[in-house]
Amino acid sequence: MAEQINPDQLKELQEKIKRMSPEELKEFQKKQCIFCQIISGKIQARKIYEDEKVTAVLDINPANPGHILLLTKEHYSIMPQIPDDDVAHIFIVAKSLSNSMLRGIDAHGTNLIVANGIAAGQRAQHFIVHIIPRKENDGVNFVLPQKTIEQNELELIGDKIKAALSGVPEKEEKEPIMPILPKKQPEQKIAEQKTSAKITETSKGSPEKSGIDLDDIAKLLGAK
Amino acid sequence: MATNENCVVCQIASGRVPSKKVYEDELALAVLDVNGANPGHCFIIPKNHYPIIEQVPDMEVARLFQVSNKISTAIFESLGAQGTNIFVANGIPAGQTVAHFIINVIPRKENDGINLQWQPRQLSEEEMSTVELKLKDQSKNIGNFEKEKKAPRLSAPKPVALSDDEEEYFERQLRRLP
Repeated sequence: MAEQINPDQLKELQEKIKRMSPEELKEFQKKQCIFCQIISGKIQARKIYEDEKVTAVLDINPANPGHILLLTKEHYSIMPQIPDDDVAHIFIVAKSLSNSMLRGIDAHGTNLIVANGIAAGQRAQHFIVHIIPRKENDGVNFVLPQKTIEQNELELIGDKIKAALSGVPEKEEKEPIMPILPKKQPEQKIAEQKTSAKITETSKGSPEKSGIDLDDIAKLLGAK
Repeated sequence: MATNENCVVCQIASGRVPSKKVYEDELALAVLDVNGANPGHCFIIPKNHYPIIEQVPDMEVARLFQVSNKISTAIFESLGAQGTNIFVANGIPAGQTVAHFIINVIPRKENDGINLQWQPRQLSEEEMSTVELKLKDQSKNIGNFEKEKKAPRLSAPKPVALSDDEEEYFERQLRRLP
């Protein structure tokens, strides 16, 4: 049962979160995330595939039988946070799983869907690729509306996107865009940037801690 | 470049059909959709002609989704989107309308009228177990691409290639499209 958090505890908690190092913050997010618990095995799931970077499980409330959730083992909220090498790996695995559906469960097509942000339909705070097996008249319907976009608007939008693309050299640290997370203090943004840069170093070893008891905080939030 | 002259997407890639390009490299191209689901809707395509993802070589899959991720990030930054969808329809039953592999990157705002949701189904334990076993069995060789990369001399059979029958089935199906 989740314990009731009184205002003092909440304040204390917010203070603790503010003081967290990037590694601790990541660890903290992980503790709160149901998909991280599926990956670690704390919550049982029907695993289809697993390697050092990803885990694929069956969705318990599928769009169609065989609907797979492909999860990154590292906790990322949205796709823009994921390093290029991992993006490559994730979608090569997604392709292979799509192929498994065509061969293994007589799917006649597949959909791959990623939702970044609540406005895009994201419900979990963990990056997921949905791989959905499809058949004719299966009742699933992903028809995109078609708007007519005027040529001058198209030019304007295209130039904006191009500018954003070219203004971002390969490894430059940008402000993370996290519309699905609550508004946070600037310290936390910096923390996130550092985290993404350090992923390769920290993912192997255990994250360093600096005297903040994560179990304590998790307990306050009613995780255990 | 393996292109198909009857394919409108190949014609966009070659420049015969004009488009607003936002990104281009030797393998991939990103253009704005004139009939997008929202303004800023981009599609990312391989320059080579492949109808479905199963036919796209791993290296190109990697590049295409990396480009998609960059475009998605740029859309967040430059268009003030509240979210983005990465959407692929693979095969006609999945809603594919052109016979060329396409990744849609769609800027999203709340209540923008786009629905990529589904009705969640409840399956019996037995149904779940059956589908789990079948998919697991088919997926046990995934990851060989890693080994192939590390030890290129071992010419293990490519686990993700479609059999000729399947490939023909898809091509046939896709060729029926206008």
